[in-house]
Amino acid sequence: MSPSNPETERYRAQVAALQSALDGGDVAAFHRAFESLCEQMDCGLLPELKRLTATAQSALARFSAEARLDTLAGHEVPDARKRLTHVVKLTDEAAHKTMDLVDSCGPLVDEAARGAAHLIKNWNAMTDRDAAVSGFLERTRTDSEKLRANLTELLMAQGYQDITGQIIRSVISLVDELEEVLSKLVRIAEGQEVTSIVRIVPQGALERGFGPQVAGLESVDAVSGQDDIDALLSAMAAGK
Amino acid sequence: MSSPVKFLVVDDFSTMRRIVKNLLQELGYNDITEADDGNTALPLLQAGSFDVLITDWNMPGMPGIDLLKAVRADAKLGKLPVLMLTAEAKREQIVEAVQAGASGYVIKPFTAATLKEKLDKILASRAAA
Repeated sequence: MSPSNPETERYRAQVAALQSALDGGDVAAFHRAFESLCEQMDCGLLPELKRLTATAQSALARFSAEARLDTLAGHEVPDARKRLTHVVKLTDEAAHKTMDLVDSCGPLVDEAARGAAHLIKNWNAMTDRDAAVSGFLERTRTDSEKLRANLTELLMAQGYQDITGQIIRSVISLVDELEEVLSKLVRIAEGQEVTSIVRIVPQGALERGFGPQVAGLESVDAVSGQDDIDALLSAMAAGK
Repeated sequence: MSSPVKFLVVDDFSTMRRIVKNLLQELGYNDITEADDGNTALPLLQAGSFDVLITDWNMPGMPGIDLLKAVRADAKLGKLPVLMLTAEAKREQIVEAVQAGASGYVIKPFTAATLKEKLDKILASRAAA
């Protein structure tokens, strides 16, 4: 009898299990016993295959992450800088336009107040009240129309929030993607297994829209303004 | 105005909805409902008797172009005037919108005069129809 140790005892038990499964014609039990034997032997093939797969997956993930990072760093981050610069310009213009309009409203209101105060103060001493009142009313009417026009302009100036909001949203989604790619690369560098391929966010599509045109990044296919659109619509209507 | 015109204004930015609403009120239209994308707009359109739809294109849920197509595909809403009011500036998009049945296309940023002009045109052809 050969000398016995815990390892050989385990093998003996497993071989016996194999033998009995074979004798009993129990294929499932034979497979279970075989797998258990393999596990104990740590028999090279399966773990090696697993390791190779993980390495290949990591390499793939790293490749796609790096390729995406290249595009992000090479094109989309510089574009984002232009987008944000454009946002600064739009907000600057809107703020100045708003303040200019407020400045031009002030004298109109002051004039109405001054005119009314003058009438009140001198009312009793006035010789030609009709002329004074009608002059005041006429002036107030024209000034009020100017005020109304300025208020509409003030309202329209706030449209910058929609335009800049759309541009800022596109930069936020870029930052989200940048964060994801970088954290994936860090995990790969730390030797962690990265299984999923980096998600590529579609950068605009006809159906979803591309967002506002940005100075320095204008699409070659973009119209220059409302006149251009009206001309295009007329041409289409004529061509029908 | 003989009968009040009922508007639905669709834009994901509340500032823009407010601007359009204010302009419409200045023009004398006071029956205005708001929605923030196509998904919320479509049930409103189907439930209510709107006369004009003004919609943005680029919205997080259902974009304006899909809303336009859904309106044109709907037996009840098919002929509703639809004005696109958007920053989308590519020629292929404008062509797409017109082919899908847009009644007008106003590019942002826009002026009060432009909006009035396009609305007058839409309402005139609606009255003639």
